[in-house]
Amino acid sequence: MRMSCGTYRIPAVIAVCLAICAVFAARPATAHHSFAMYDRGKLITIEGVVKEFQWANPHVWIEVLVPNAKGAQDEWSVECTSVNFMTRHGFTRHTLKPGDKISITLTPLKDGSLGGSFKSVKSLNGAPLALESED
Amino acid sequence: MRFLRVIAVGTLAAFAAVAVNAAPQPGKPALTATYADATQPDISGLWVVTGAMFFSPDHALPKLKGQYKALYDKRTKAFNAGIAIDDPTADCLPAGLPHLFIVPYPFEIMQTPGRVTMLYEYDSAVRRVPLGVTAPASLDPDEAGYYGSSYGHWEGDTLVIDTINLRGGTQLDFSGLPHSDALRISERLHRKDATTLEDRITLTDPKAYEEPFTVTRLYRARPKWKIAEYVCEENNRNRTDAQGRTRSGASKAKQE
Repeated sequence: MRMSCGTYRIPAVIAVCLAICAVFAARPATAHHSFAMYDRGKLITIEGVVKEFQWANPHVWIEVLVPNAKGAQDEWSVECTSVNFMTRHGFTRHTLKPGDKISITLTPLKDGSLGGSFKSVKSLNGAPLALESED
Repeated sequence: MRFLRVIAVGTLAAFAAVAVNAAPQPGKPALTATYADATQPDISGLWVVTGAMFFSPDHALPKLKGQYKALYDKRTKAFNAGIAIDDPTADCLPAGLPHLFIVPYPFEIMQTPGRVTMLYEYDSAVRRVPLGVTAPASLDPDEAGYYGSSYGHWEGDTLVIDTINLRGGTQLDFSGLPHSDALRISERLHRKDATTLEDRITLTDPKAYEEPFTVTRLYRARPKWKIAEYVCEENNRNRTDAQGRTRSGASKAKQE
């Protein structure tokens, strides 16, 4: 996963990522429908491989294949905010692509389905994701 | 050709006149204007709401009456159980007013002679507010809409907007707060400082609320932002099911 890091050095990237996490944590990932379905206040992190990165409104979706205890793979559906929000936080339709190894922190669905509301993402391929704050 | 040149020069002169009139004055905030009417107090530019996604920033509630109280109690119970019901936005229907006041997407205020226009990113909604026109007591209910009809006038540096003829069925926020089709909205908008717009919003709804409900929302200037396209129908995985419940959209959803 190659990211243009701009002028940011690593500490700045970490700081920016923390800022992004804070921004996303402050608002539910959805602004198009109710956030009742999410177990707010709870955060979990999953690691896996991107199956699909759906860059479209009203919500961007990341489908992630996560190894399970049975030696198979579970498909998780992570609902992000809109293209508009994600763009203002430095994402593009090319930020993730199938095959990318990632770690995603999310607020899980209350009903136990494999999914949740996006909070932050880290690349496990080496290069940090270069994302800027909304200003 | 000469005629065209005269028009071109005239147009340039007109723009120059606006530019001169719109220049910042001592003690006044610089304009964020993309298009401002120099005869009006300047509230033009790009703004985005700050604070919580509940209609009232402190989650205060209107005093709900009868069936509207019962409806909200039912929605609250479902919400706490992790289920959203009756949410029209899940099906990509407009948020409408008053929900649009708190949707965390930017909107642009454009001021032209006799009119203020609000151009919203969310739903690509537009509000047209004619100035100096008093809101009628009522309008044809068959023409009630998601955004109603708005009428504005200036009181000093405050833009007062009355909005009537709103349809029922939209919600104030994602907690499912209802209103009826008798809702009237009164806004008092003014620029607190160079980067803050304040809207004091009063909802008067004798069918649904015991008394008028007032909240104050603040909007932050985002002069570097651009309004982007927002098409809800492109990839909506959250459509409501047959029971009116918002789907989670998970590929392996358990809720159906």
